[in-house]
Amino acid sequence: MRMLLAAATLLALLPLGLPPYAMTLLTESLILGLFAMSLDLMVGYARLISFGHAAAYGFGAYACGNFLLHTSMPLPCAVLLAGLLGGIVAIGVGWVCTQATGVSFSMLTLAYAQLLYAVAFKWTPVTGASDGLAGIPRNPGPFGLTWSGKAGFYYLTLTCLLGTFIFCRELVRSPFGAVLRGIRENEAKTTALGYNTRRYKIAIVAISYGLAGLAGALYAPFAGFANTELLFWLLSGQVLIMVIVGGAGTLIGPILGAMFFLYVQQKLSSYTDSWALFFGVIFILFVLFLPEGIWGLVRSRFMRKTA
Amino acid sequence: MDLLPFLVTQCLNALSQAALLFFLGCGLTLIFGIMRIVNFAHGAFFMLGAYVGYSTVHWTGNFWAALIVAPIFVGGFGAAFELGILRRLYGRDGHAFLMVTFGLTLIMGEVIRLVWGVEALQVKPPESLSDIVFILDEPFPVYRLFLAGAGIVVALAIWQFLERTRLGLLIRATSQNAEMVHALGTDVRLVRSAVFGIGCGLAGIGGVMAAPLVTASLGMAPNAVIDTFVIVIIGGMGSFLGSLIGAVLVAFVQVFGTYYFPDFALAFMYLIMLTVLVVRPGGLLGKEA
Amino acid sequence: MALLELDGLTKRYGGIVAVDHVTMRIEAGEVRAVIGPNGAGKTSLFHLITGVVKVTEGSVRFADQDVSTLPAHVRCQRGMSRTFQLTSLFPEMSARDNTRLAAQARDAKRWMPLGGASVFNGASQRGDLALERLGLTHVANRPAGLLSHGDQRLLEVAMALAQRPRLLLLDEPTQGLSVEETAQAVEVLAGLFSSGDLTVLLVEHDMEVVFRLSHKITVLHRGSVIADGDPDTVKADEGVQNAYLGGFA
Repeated sequence: MRMLLAAATLLALLPLGLPPYAMTLLTESLILGLFAMSLDLMVGYARLISFGHAAAYGFGAYACGNFLLHTSMPLPCAVLLAGLLGGIVAIGVGWVCTQATGVSFSMLTLAYAQLLYAVAFKWTPVTGASDGLAGIPRNPGPFGLTWSGKAGFYYLTLTCLLGTFIFCRELVRSPFGAVLRGIRENEAKTTALGYNTRRYKIAIVAISYGLAGLAGALYAPFAGFANTELLFWLLSGQVLIMVIVGGAGTLIGPILGAMFFLYVQQKLSSYTDSWALFFGVIFILFVLFLPEGIWGLVRSRFMRKTA
Repeated sequence: MDLLPFLVTQCLNALSQAALLFFLGCGLTLIFGIMRIVNFAHGAFFMLGAYVGYSTVHWTGNFWAALIVAPIFVGGFGAAFELGILRRLYGRDGHAFLMVTFGLTLIMGEVIRLVWGVEALQVKPPESLSDIVFILDEPFPVYRLFLAGAGIVVALAIWQFLERTRLGLLIRATSQNAEMVHALGTDVRLVRSAVFGIGCGLAGIGGVMAAPLVTASLGMAPNAVIDTFVIVIIGGMGSFLGSLIGAVLVAFVQVFGTYYFPDFALAFMYLIMLTVLVVRPGGLLGKEA
Repeated sequence: MALLELDGLTKRYGGIVAVDHVTMRIEAGEVRAVIGPNGAGKTSLFHLITGVVKVTEGSVRFADQDVSTLPAHVRCQRGMSRTFQLTSLFPEMSARDNTRLAAQARDAKRWMPLGGASVFNGASQRGDLALERLGLTHVANRPAGLLSHGDQRLLEVAMALAQRPRLLLLDEPTQGLSVEETAQAVEVLAGLFSSGDLTVLLVEHDMEVVFRLSHKITVLHRGSVIADGDPDTVKADEGVQNAYLGGFA
């Protein structure tokens, strides 16, 4: 699609003109964008509200951190492997959480996240307890590539984001995606048509958590550390805000939401300590008055014009 | 130690824990019974109660004052929130309500952090309750006895309130058939606001009472809301008696569970929630969830 | 060999017997109506046959296989498709997408996470054919939630039909329809059934619809079968007339 190509080209050329601190911010916003997009699969396309998505993110960060610290695995491999591991573990999580529906489902996702948070404090060898993992290296390779420079890491992140975006877009347009849509609009009817809806829900949870793990796995070497903050419930809330404000069910919206979030957070935190409060208020306002989010609004206006 | 004294003290422990959980569960189930929606911010109101209690004790040196100030403050805030914001959501699907109350939790978490800081705050119980008594030769804090007693008193009070007073009758009627109550001339919206306020106030009392035991901290909210949810799931959404039973059950499992497996408290909650949701999704005594 | 055999099928809810030892045989190609006063157990019977509700006693045999313990979605896969008493559709999807999703359910590759053009093409073909047979082609691209009530009821039937079922279960297809809409629906359904390749189990309250469409009628009262046979026999049955005080005549 032409828009995608244009956006990709723009993002690919940006490093040429930006100062270092802006590069760092941009890279972080891409990582958060990936995180938010992964949640959109559950929230926007399957209407499964996860209140504990930070669990997937933190899991990926810790997994990748461990791979990079204790082995000489090349960075991209560690990142991908951590994401994959997160997805596999999430099959079990999805199986448990989908035993329930609605509010109970959301509570189970929160409970799992809280559980992981508590475990992280105790499991010192793997997580470094309350200190976390520090000094996570950006292992070189494969093919002699190094990742210590800002540009290199940025392109790795961009590739992951674009690749994931294309994957997600194809997923929601596929037969699997059509069933997901059915589940979203009328789960009882979807079951009556003969679909084993539970399996589809478990699958989307696994994919969503796995991709969130991929984002977390990118964060660990990006920041150089991983700690329990990445599993904290406030982060689960923030990523949900990014999705809703950006526009649930659009894939692009959450990425924009993440960029908006990070940018505003940077700007506001130089004036005040209460930027998170601002987002909480924005969140409520959006849920009340603009539930389709920014990109959702743009899309419906845009589509009306072309119709 | 000997078995009998051990059992007795642990049971009393569990009862005091059950009292705390009951304050939470009762409030949530009351709100669900009227509004058919789960108040995710319930844990945040609990947390707010603890912090307001801390400040009241800090300024007045009087714990009993905190017991009055906190629920009024928290309940009032809850009612105001319902009036201003939640009202606009009736008629929309349940997810909107859940997300707004989640947003409220985030906001409250941040406000509390800004006002009171990130350190956990110690609240001292009043002098009269700081003692230790000996039960069957085992030491046991008086404060916990007080809690257990308070739980029983409040449970009875609420029961009588629901059964004997006009507002209680209105509440029970509205939970069964809101339209009819409206047709009979009562402003259902006022009932809703009142109930939301009472429910939050109960959470607030729970918070104040819990503070001397667990210290006030930012991590309280999500754990409290999970605990509360488990209780109400076990007892059944909308059932007052169910929340009582659920609170007692959960408290006993938590107290005896953490004695034998100290590191697994959270895991236990998770398992209980899972088991109940699988075996009896409607709860033991519940209406439709 | 009958396509559907119910043997002593019973459902108890605590002390209440919703379905009481119902025994029925439905042959392939038959259109069977199930009638009875309110609370007779008709929808409960449907729930038992399709697996929405668990059997207390008795058995359901479909195409010579015992399906009594199989979950609903599996029975659907075996060839049972049903509609519901309260209209249940995908309101934001177009009528076309509704039937396509229904048809997709019978494709072995319905779960494909990427690509899937061939799955969609096949499902669209079957879905569009079903829409045509129900006379809904002119509203194919309209969101299902915006269709008239009559068209929505027909769309539900189209969705069931798109699954090429061996057994079609219709729960009060004309419910909530005006007199004209009912007449139109009945004509469409009559045309559908006349091809003879469908086996249909039909719950209906409207007696004219029943007599126009069905080959045989089973009458339920308080959960049990009180009459069973061709329309004229059933009409004349005293027990039936008693159950339906002031009913048809």
